[in-house]
Amino acid sequence: MTEKYDVVIIGGGPNGLGIAAYLSKSGLKVCLCEERLEVGGGGENTEPIPGFRIDPHATYLYGAAAPGFEQLELHKYGFRMVHFKNIGGGVTSDGKAIAFGIFNPEETLKSLKRYSDRDAQIWTLFHEKLFPNLVEFLRSIYWTPPPPSGVEVEQKDYPWSQVLKKCLPEIYDDSWNALSTFELLDALFETEALKVSFGMGSWYNGPHPSWRGTAINGFACNLLAMYSSGSPRGGMHSYMHALARCAIANGTRIITNSRVAEIIVVDGEAKGVKLEDTSPLGNRTIWADKAVISAVHVKNTFLDLMPKRHLEQSFVQKVKDINLNGGSLFVLSLITKELPQYKGEAKDIISGANYPSCVFIPVDSREPMINQMKDVYSFKTHPAKKESMIIPVCVHDIFDETRSPEGYHVLSPIYLQVPPPEYHRDGPLAVNNAKEEISNLLIETLRSVAPNMTDDKIVAKFVNTPYDSSFRNMAFVGGNWYGIRECEDQWWNLRPLPELARYRTPVQKLYLCNHTSYPGGLCLMAVPYNLMHILIEDKVVQPGKWWYPSPWYIAERR
Amino acid sequence: MKITPKETTFKPSKTIVPTVPESLECDVVIIGAGPNGLITAAYLAKAGLKVVLCERRYEIGGGLATEEIMFPGYYANTHATYHMMVDYMPVIKDFEMGKLGLMWIKPNSQTGIIFKDKKGLLLSKMLGDSVDSLRKFSDKDAEAFERVFRIYEKIVDEILAPATYWPPVPPIEFTTSMENTEIGRELAKVSEKSPIEVIDENFTDSRIKAILTYMSCMWGIDPTEAGMGFMVPLLVVRGLNKCICYGGSHKFAGTLSKQVIQNGGLILENAEVSRVILENGKAAGVEIFDGRIIKAKVIASSLDPHNTFNKLVGKENLPEDLKSSVEKWKWDKWSLFSVHVALNEPPQYAVDDKQLNGSFVNIIGLESHEDVLSFFGNIMKGEMNKIGGHTTCETLFDPTLSRMPGKHTAFFQMPAPYNLRGGWENRQDEITKAALKVWGEYAPNIKDSNLLMTVSETPLDIERRIASMIKGSIKHGDYNPLQMGYFRPSDTCSVSKTPIDNLYLCGASMYPGGLIIGGPGYIAANVIIDDLGVKKWWKIPDKIKKFVETYIK
Repeated sequence: MTEKYDVVIIGGGPNGLGIAAYLSKSGLKVCLCEERLEVGGGGENTEPIPGFRIDPHATYLYGAAAPGFEQLELHKYGFRMVHFKNIGGGVTSDGKAIAFGIFNPEETLKSLKRYSDRDAQIWTLFHEKLFPNLVEFLRSIYWTPPPPSGVEVEQKDYPWSQVLKKCLPEIYDDSWNALSTFELLDALFETEALKVSFGMGSWYNGPHPSWRGTAINGFACNLLAMYSSGSPRGGMHSYMHALARCAIANGTRIITNSRVAEIIVVDGEAKGVKLEDTSPLGNRTIWADKAVISAVHVKNTFLDLMPKRHLEQSFVQKVKDINLNGGSLFVLSLITKELPQYKGEAKDIISGANYPSCVFIPVDSREPMINQMKDVYSFKTHPAKKESMIIPVCVHDIFDETRSPEGYHVLSPIYLQVPPPEYHRDGPLAVNNAKEEISNLLIETLRSVAPNMTDDKIVAKFVNTPYDSSFRNMAFVGGNWYGIRECEDQWWNLRPLPELARYRTPVQKLYLCNHTSYPGGLCLMAVPYNLMHILIEDKVVQPGKWWYPSPWYIAERR
Repeated sequence: MKITPKETTFKPSKTIVPTVPESLECDVVIIGAGPNGLITAAYLAKAGLKVVLCERRYEIGGGLATEEIMFPGYYANTHATYHMMVDYMPVIKDFEMGKLGLMWIKPNSQTGIIFKDKKGLLLSKMLGDSVDSLRKFSDKDAEAFERVFRIYEKIVDEILAPATYWPPVPPIEFTTSMENTEIGRELAKVSEKSPIEVIDENFTDSRIKAILTYMSCMWGIDPTEAGMGFMVPLLVVRGLNKCICYGGSHKFAGTLSKQVIQNGGLILENAEVSRVILENGKAAGVEIFDGRIIKAKVIASSLDPHNTFNKLVGKENLPEDLKSSVEKWKWDKWSLFSVHVALNEPPQYAVDDKQLNGSFVNIIGLESHEDVLSFFGNIMKGEMNKIGGHTTCETLFDPTLSRMPGKHTAFFQMPAPYNLRGGWENRQDEITKAALKVWGEYAPNIKDSNLLMTVSETPLDIERRIASMIKGSIKHGDYNPLQMGYFRPSDTCSVSKTPIDNLYLCGASMYPGGLIIGGPGYIAANVIIDDLGVKKWWKIPDKIKKFVETYIK
């Protein structure tokens, strides 16, 4: 039995859903095939104990600046927000703290002034000149497709360079593009705790702050979270519901428990997909007239779903070599009877209305970040000693009462970088075998600055490792949830490979729409938005008046 | 240190991201997105009405819950696993759900019972197979079963099943019309009896009576209660026609929700309703906990009577007789305790008939009819000194529940008191261990080396997950003659309309009751659409029409 559509989408995570919504709203007949029981991918919540909601992956709304919210009218499909007064903070081992929130400038300045007047001034400058233009700045980075190959863009003409020159002429310099996030932070600020916190905001969302050439992305990752300073009501899960419902309302057919077995290619052209036997529809073929869009990992696409005969061996080797490091996170979720109560001065800064959602511990110095980085990427093992410990600890229920019953708190997620199972020096199960040990190390780290978090206050623990994540979700290859390393060589017009940077592939009518493309992960609705530009170019789709492209989009020169 | 969202959150003065407006207007707002709420919403949305469906949890589905409680990597149907009315629910055909990828699997080996002496009895969808298995224990009973089952099938097919999807009539009227047909008379005969009397009448073997009694009473029926005898034909026949929903029970909810969305409806999760708004004593809308207001012409609640009437409407706004019906409302006689496991290999039972390893359900821990009766008796007293219940290895039929290739999930579920002597908080671990031990006595490979994960859920968890399952009441309230049929939840609201203008019921505490039967939701949709004067796009199924002509008109 055959079924015909304009477009078939492989994978119903945030990116697959995003492009499904865009295309079906534009009038195309779309079928989306999802291997799991539900769509939503990494944008999910779950309740391993009824009433206690954990965040196994995505946790904050980084994508608030996305054109998709107005273009797709997600508010019509149930989208609601919870905004925090303070989104982030950091505590040092001796109980000093900072807390920052874009909507809480006075308190943020107060906490910065304790340590550095100069930092407070720079922050004020950002508040006055950058934050009012944050949407434009963020869109210039994330919601703009990379330039076409063969088009050389000079640093001064990078979209974000143009915006920064406009907003921060006093301090911006094109050389920022070559810096690492730490180098940029060192140039701007004095307070180590602030720099370490922002460095974590970079690394745990994208590039390590010591990687040169990634400063713009690294710094902007923090601003992505700060712009909305919040989470969707109920968690990222409800955002995925809104996105899926937009697609469904516009006619997308979503089939779940339907893993794709193969992308059908005839004469170098993608024609459709064949489903696995386990689909309720059996191993049906779903034909697509205009395009097949792979919203799964670039390695799934070319190494698992594409018969080798359709690809050149040199290309296959390049895909195999794509580096997986960076976002393989060990996630601990705790159900506790109390909130962490931080020691020393932190007790007063991290309290009451100013309690931030995400606290980095400890932020004395960047050394643990360097040690942790070496453990994971150089020695290819999981961090196992105190000197490598620096972690984010997140809480949502004090902002959103739907997350947990009264009298309890859910500290979720608490993250730690670990190697992808594929690269771990002790084999793919090494981290799983060390779950207990790693969890204890994380809890001890928290306890070292929040002494009230004793064992009797912890009611339950849940862990998902990259290995677990890769089975829960086939597209989390390496358990990495921004797909692949976000370093200079795999960013912008090189992501995931130069020839794939504009979302097109060596196979005609096959496109990529996954976080392994630009601009990576974080549920931004950016990959789909960027891909739309390309699909419009290729005359796959013609959206209505609600569509607008990025002002910095450069069309293909033909 | 108590910190509340009031202190920590705020509303940005400039819109950061457009969200659902603070106030909405629609035609129908439905409270609770369980199966019934979803069914009512789907029918009405497709009729062109503007529908808003409000759900407290982060997921729709209510009892249609498939959740990753064995985290990470293994899902379980935490409530409804056995779908007994798939053959009759009008919603499935009316929305052509088969074409949308909703798939039901009905195994032939339906319910078995395994004894310590390794004898096993297997009842199947195919009557002949059941009779064959019964002959192992008693030829007389096997022949009785063959005869009686045919009658029971007719009772269900001609009366009880269609009646599920039609508003109830006062018992006097129904009793009278039942006299008109032979099958009606058969039903009348069993209805006045207790389940135990119905079973004793036809069967003699203790073990055969054990399985039939368990099947008839497991969902909260007192075997000795007069007037509940009709549960025997209903649950024995439908109990041998159970389906599992491929992809998890939640898939049914998801498919229903798509009908709502495709027809312009709005579903709001994380949207607990805090009150029904009354204007001049009439229901005019609802308020959500976050302050959002939804105005509507009709408000339909799928919640239990305490939530709907006491909490959302307010006792002071209820007429006296309704207030007193709500006060008198009895919760389920018992709830459920479930031990879920993730395993390397499916359970292998020590039993003389290997087909039992592939049975949808296996009853273990209950050796005789007396055992079953004392088992239920003790539970009603709050005791759990005997471990017995039913097991299912879900992944034998639905491999999608395990994300780890080649691994399995199974559960041992048992009727259990909410008010357990000693308290669930203190005894959950003890009883979980005891249950695993018993399971291991019947299936020797239920042991540590085969178990990857063990998670148990008590009646307290049921109550925590689903707000209307107060005291773990999976049916929203007891099945007894005083709150069933025309009296569910009271004779002033059993046909969905309540004494409060514009407020309707559409959930399991309304006729015909709980479990996944889709009756209340369907009936409510029919009543509401008529009251709103809107054209029905669906036709009443022939079987239901025939039932109505024969017994109602």
